[in-house]
Amino acid sequence: MIPFLATIPILPILLATLVDRVPGIFFGLPLVALASLVFAATHHEDPAEIRFATVHWAVWLGGILGLVIAAVLLLGWFA
Amino acid sequence: MALARDKTPAPRIVAVSPDDGSAIDLRNPALAAALAWAVPGLGHLYQGRVFKGRLFMGAILGTFLAGMWLGGGKVVYASWKPGDTRWAFVCQAGAGIVTLPAVVQALQLHGVAKQPLLGSMFMAPPLVAGQYVSRGYADRLASADPDIDAEDFFDRPPLRQFRGEQVSHWQRRLGRWFDIGTLYTMLAGMLNILVIYDAWAGPLGTPTDADRKSRTTPKT
Repeated sequence: MIPFLATIPILPILLATLVDRVPGIFFGLPLVALASLVFAATHHEDPAEIRFATVHWAVWLGGILGLVIAAVLLLGWFA
Repeated sequence: MALARDKTPAPRIVAVSPDDGSAIDLRNPALAAALAWAVPGLGHLYQGRVFKGRLFMGAILGTFLAGMWLGGGKVVYASWKPGDTRWAFVCQAGAGIVTLPAVVQALQLHGVAKQPLLGSMFMAPPLVAGQYVSRGYADRLASADPDIDAEDFFDRPPLRQFRGEQVSHWQRRLGRWFDIGTLYTMLAGMLNILVIYDAWAGPLGTPTDADRKSRTTPKT
């Protein structure tokens, strides 16, 4: 049973559920990427540093926004 | 005796790169900032910072144009009439001269002409209830806009008076795309403010003493 459970792709299912429930997330992702790129490029000058910082900012922005959306969804679920 | 001309070169205005501590020649920072507003990334190209200039130009203009496309070309307009004050335009204006047609169209529509420039609907503000427009523009709207027909205007010679709210037609027709397009164009404009600052004063990050020390101290 446990090996079977281990094969279920939980993360993609969670992501698909989230995207289905909040369609705006799909169109918000390019904006997160844009904001990360601009934040990184206005803090650095070297192209390699800009690329690294873009990923860094994207993780932070995506994480913070994801937490906010998750909190809103949970509150809406219990309301 | 002839006075010796002062041949001291003008001081260069430079910023410090936070990555390697090198100097970044800002040339004329005010001009660079103005160019960065006019066309995102142009200020950086003027300063010789080609990589960042192309990056900003592509990213910000691309997002702005994507927003225009998603919003059916209706999301960027200037309006300051009571009941339809377009606050989003304050953010969109940060994207530069691409938003100037909206100001021109608004001035034309609210001015003596009572119609946008050349009767074009491009970036023209939506009509509000009771607004007077020229006969030519009313006829053009009735023929080109699927949500408007001749019965939507009162005849007030030599003008016509609109009866409805054009922005609600747009929102009904476009649905969520109106808001998404508005968001894309607003964000493009707001992020260009950071780009303008970068052109004026260099990168926001400044190397700390620890950064400088880690670069100069050999790792054991």
